[in-house]
Order: sequence, then structure tokens, then C-alpha cells
Amino acid sequence: MIEIHDITKVFQEKIALEKVTFDIPKGMVFGIIGPNGAGKTTLIRILNQILIPNDGFVKYNGTLLNEAHVRSFGYLPEERGLYREMRVMDQLVFLGELRGLSRKEAGDKAMKWLQKFEVQDWAKKRIDSLSKGMAQKIQFISSVLHDPEVIILDEPLSGFDPLNINLILNEIEAFKNAGKSVIFSTHNMDSVDSICDEVALIHAGKLIAKDRVANLRSQHKNGDFKIRFRGNVIAFANALWTSFEIIESKEIGDDLREAVIRRRGNETFNDVYNQLSSALELTLIEEKLPGMQDVFVKVIQEHNQHEE
Amino acid sequence: MKNSLIIARREFMERWNNRSFRFMLFLGPLLLLAVIYLLIISGNQGKSNLNVLIVDPTGLFEEKIVSHPSESITYYFYQDYVELEAFRDEKKFRTYDAMIEINEKVLINKKVFLFYRETPNVQLKMKLKFEVERRVEEVMIEQFTNLGIEDFRKIKQPLNVDFRDVNDPLNQSENEIAWVGYSLGYLMIFFLGIFGTNITRSINREKANRVSEVILASAKAHELMFGKILGILWASLLQLFFWIFIIALGLWVFEYFIFSETLGLGHLEGVQVSDQGLSQFGQSNPMMNYNTQMDLFFHRINYAFLIPNFMLFFLGTYWVYSSFFTVIGAMSGDESDGQQFVIPIWILFGVSIFAGYNAVQYPDAALTQFFTFFPWTAGMVAMVKITAGVTVVSYLFLLLSWLIMVLVGAVLLYFAGRIFKNGILSFGHKLTFKLLLKWLKI
Repeated sequence: MIEIHDITKVFQEKIALEKVTFDIPKGMVFGIIGPNGAGKTTLIRILNQILIPNDGFVKYNGTLLNEAHVRSFGYLPEERGLYREMRVMDQLVFLGELRGLSRKEAGDKAMKWLQKFEVQDWAKKRIDSLSKGMAQKIQFISSVLHDPEVIILDEPLSGFDPLNINLILNEIEAFKNAGKSVIFSTHNMDSVDSICDEVALIHAGKLIAKDRVANLRSQHKNGDFKIRFRGNVIAFANALWTSFEIIESKEIGDDLREAVIRRRGNETFNDVYNQLSSALELTLIEEKLPGMQDVFVKVIQEHNQHEE
Repeated sequence: MKNSLIIARREFMERWNNRSFRFMLFLGPLLLLAVIYLLIISGNQGKSNLNVLIVDPTGLFEEKIVSHPSESITYYFYQDYVELEAFRDEKKFRTYDAMIEINEKVLINKKVFLFYRETPNVQLKMKLKFEVERRVEEVMIEQFTNLGIEDFRKIKQPLNVDFRDVNDPLNQSENEIAWVGYSLGYLMIFFLGIFGTNITRSINREKANRVSEVILASAKAHELMFGKILGILWASLLQLFFWIFIIALGLWVFEYFIFSETLGLGHLEGVQVSDQGLSQFGQSNPMMNYNTQMDLFFHRINYAFLIPNFMLFFLGTYWVYSSFFTVIGAMSGDESDGQQFVIPIWILFGVSIFAGYNAVQYPDAALTQFFTFFPWTAGMVAMVKITAGVTVVSYLFLLLSWLIMVLVGAVLLYFAGRIFKNGILSFGHKLTFKLLLKWLKI
């Protein structure tokens, strides 16, 4: 487990992080989210000991974070960088050695990963002969080559095409299943929805929310339900009576419609079912939780209002 | 340290994998050998016919020279004193190419001065020396001994003929060996320029490629910095070793295959020549091929002492300059910044080259002493002094200057490390002095 205690980082009088404190539990995909310039990358650099905080400290498995710990981390920075004139295999071996692998180990592991990604033919290619997406794959391999315990990925999906995004997401899932911690920084909320178990929301250098993704979405729900039914639209509207309003309704098939309704009071899932089931043939009722994008905007707006 | 070595190996391999680097391993020393070859050849050029005025106010030579003087030299006698300025400037002496002063002490101190207007070629110099020496021998036998000429030659001391340019009678420019040291210092600066700029460019490229952050997640900033400096040093040392090896091989080929005849009797000082030798002079005698440049390259330079000292001072100078190149790379906002800020270092190189020149011309001047201990010029001055020959005490002073270089380099690298640590992740910024101070403080 990683414990972040009262981390403050100041760059030439500009506060990048201010007394940020939270824990990152082991064995989950943890998102550090926030708008651009919030301080995510600064925090990640501190976790990698690239930057030293002005105040506060980080603990890893109960002891102060040290060089040996960081060596067992994997890191994919937001600003991707490889030596353009080096060959793929040489590059991977070099970075593997810096992470403590022997030349042979690094070479063997690199080949395994290249085979896994079905790109073993690239081993002797120079980086500058690869496309951006191909280079991204190599960069990803370089960050996990040494089988790290903690994998820190700063905006890992940017620059990948949908197929490769899927590939990376599968790997992240595999790391999680192997009991490793994945720290994931992004401002792309769709990816948070799909892969993060827990998130810390940072805004203007401060931690403003930290919880499990499901909890945050639930806490910020609007009381919306998605309904799919067969039957008359008028009967549907009448059945809702005064407890719900229709937000959206559309025909999605022969006599099959889908609608989003919003409760006016404290009505529950059961109330929806009871009110509609006698009038219509229901095929689906689902409580519609807000996406992390909505949660993100809402939390920041609330925070800004509170600050004012 | 391990990380620094891994980074150093990558830096070295990057250069090794570069075709132009491997090409220069051979091309550079071959070009230098070509220059040495031309210098040796040029030693045989110069004026090939001489009108020589023998100024003999006491009439010691009795207006005579050897019985079969060389056809390429015509001797004229003048039984009065001639001032050097008069010989140089007066119209009546213009027809003479050289003047030999025979003063009354020549029989005692065995020293004769020869002033020339235009450097005679080496063969002519040797003929002159030979013929004047013969005449001095005859005069000595006539005046002081009852010995025959063969017996006399067994006990005689050689005549020292001092060749001097009429425009440089004090022979201030006659210090070729110091110029060799200067050339070595120049070579040192040349290597520093190339490989120092490599440090700056390498840092700039890492910043532009954004690879610095990847490295810094695995290695400390100072490990990256030292790795870079070390790797580029290895590459420069490899170049130097190749240069030394190929040049040594080339000189060996010159000595044993190309100029083998010339070098067989190259060092002529004090060599005795028989009358038969005299008659053959200028025909087939290999002694005729004596060449000052060859003497310089093959006999006067103490390579066993010079090469280790060259390496020592090269390392010291690289150490002291590398901090500057590192700082420039780390604080640059983009690659063009790096090119601009290298200018102050080129100015220091210029000062260094001047310091070398100064050390050749005025080895004992106060300014030379200053440059000896100034870390950015010490390497150059040391090369000049070591090549020209040093006493134990002055060598110890040079070692002290090396120590100062190393200490100053260590202090500079400490500050360079601070700037490097803060600057390596910054790119695209506008570099200001204020920012530099902040990076130093953080």
C-alpha cells in the first residue's frame, strides 16, 4: 500500500500540490484524476522520486519510500520518450538494466513481451522507423518489463488506436488480477469509468474527493432510470403519474421503446417497477448512474462554489 | 554508480554505432600523418644555391675554404667587422644570401653563427657546416698542433654552427618542439570542442525526445549526468587511442620504409667525415638527407613521457570543461539555445589557444604562469611546457595545476548537477539568468 502524507510541492512560488493526503490500496486500479494543471503529474513524479516534495512524505508498505521501492515500480510518463536512433531491443534492454535487470534477463523479458504483443519482428528496428502507436507499445513494454509491483501510468491511453487501447486495458486488468497495484492518471473520464476501482480527484493542487468509483457515481446520481418497454407511449406517460418526468424517449425497434425518466421525489427502483409493470410490458429497468465525467464536473463545480 | 555505467555504455554505443564516428577513427590520424609527411618533405625544400659572405676581420681563414668546395655554395671573404643590421639592410650586401661570422674566439669556443636571409635547404646547411668545420680544423692544426689531420680528428670537438634568420638573430622563433606541444594542445582543444558539444547535444536531444523522464524514473539526475559525461569521454578516448596508434604506426612506416635512408644517419651532430666523405658529399652520402623535421619527430620528442601526460591533461581539461557543456545542455530551452550558449566556451577555447601561443613565445612570462594555473588553459600550457622539456620542479608545478583543474572541475560539476537536476525536465522555456539562479538555489 502507498500512503501519501501531507505532500506539498512548490515551484518558484507556485503551489503545485498542497497538503495532499490519501492512501492507494494494494491490488487495485487507482485513478488520479483531475483537470489539466491540477498537479497529477507532479504527484506522480513525486511517487517516482523524480521530484522531491517541499513537505510531506510517501510510505510504501509501511516504510518511507526509497530508491529500492521506486526501482520496483513501473512508470509510463505522459510525455512519451525513447531514444529515436536506438533499436527496439537495445532500448528495452537498456531501460530494463536501469530497472535492475541483468542484460540477459532484460533481453529475455523484452522478447517475451514483444512476442506477447506480436511485434517480435520489430526487435531490430530503430525507434524512428516506427509509427507513433508502435512506439507507444514499446514504451508500454519498457515500463512493465521488470515485472513491477506498482505500475504508474500517466495518461496511458493517449495516442493509441481503439485496438491498442483494448490491448493496454487488458494488460491493466491482468496486472490487477495478478495482485499488482496500477496507478492511473488521466483527465479522460471514460477510461476511468471502465478500469478504475478507486479514484482521487485533484483540483488546483488539492485533493477534493477520494472514493471508490461506484460510490462516487452513486453519491452523485440524479435519480434517473433507463426503461425499455413494449406498449403505448401514452399509457407509459400516464403510468408515471406525477412521480417521474420523462427526460428522453425513443423507438428502438418494432413496438420497442427506450426512455430515461427522472424521479421528482425519493422514489425508488421498486416504485418505478410498481408504477409501470401493470401498464406496460417491461424489458429493462436500470438505475442510471452518472458517468465519471459528470461526477468530475459536478465535484469541481461544488468545490469551486464552496471556495467562493 | 551502476546506473552511471549503464548510461555511459549507451552513450558510448550511440557514438560507436554512428558511421561518421568510426570513419573519423581512421580519417583524422591519416590526415595528420599526411601533414607530418608534408612537413618532412618540406624540410628538403628551400634555397639550393648560396652566396655566402665569410666575415673574417682577423683574417683567420686567410680567404680560403676547403679544397673542393661545393658547387652550390660560393664563398666571399670580407676582412672587416660587419654589423648584422648593415648586412641585413645595406645595398652592398644584398647579393649575399648568408653571412658567417668568424671571430677570433672560434678556435676556442667552436661556435660559428650563420645568418641567412631565406632558409637554405637542409642539404646546403649540412654542406656549409661541413666545409666551415673543415677549414676551422685546418687553421687549428696549423696554429696549435703538430698533429696530422687524422690524429687531430680523433681528439677534436665538433664545430657548432648556429643557423639564424637574419630577421630573427636571437632565434626566438626557433622552438619547433614547443610548437609541437602547442599542436598537441590544439588537438586537445579540438577533441574537447567536438566531444564537449556532444554532451550538450545529447542532453538537448534527450529533452527534445522527452526520454529524460523515463531515465529519471530509474536513475538519479547526477547518475544520468555522470553517465553521459563518462560515456562521451570513453568515445573520445577511443578516438584518441586510435589516433595515437595509427600515428605511431605511420611514423614507424615513415622511419623504416619511406624515409629509411634519411633516418639511418639522421642525427649528425658531431659525426666525423673523412676526406673521402668530403669528396662524396652531395652525391650519395645518406648524411646529406638530414632533415630537421625528421629529427624533431623521431629524436627530439620524448613520446614515452609526452603521451601519458597528454592523456592526463586531456582528462583534467575534459573534466573541467564538461561541467560547462552539461550546464548549457540542461538550461537550454531548445536546441538553438544550446548552440548559442556554447559561444562562451568557444571564447575560453580561444583564450586557451592564445595561452599556448604565449607559452611558446614567452615561456617564463607572468601571463604564462597565470595561464599555467588557470584551469581552462592549464592543459594547453602544460602540453607546450612538457613537450619543450621540463625540470622536475616545473613538472611538479604542472601536476599542481592539474590538481587545481580537477578540484575546480569537481566544484563546477557540483553546481552543474544542481542545474542539471532542475533543468533536465524543462523544455521550451525561455532561458533567463533569473531562472538559472533559481535552479541553482532549489
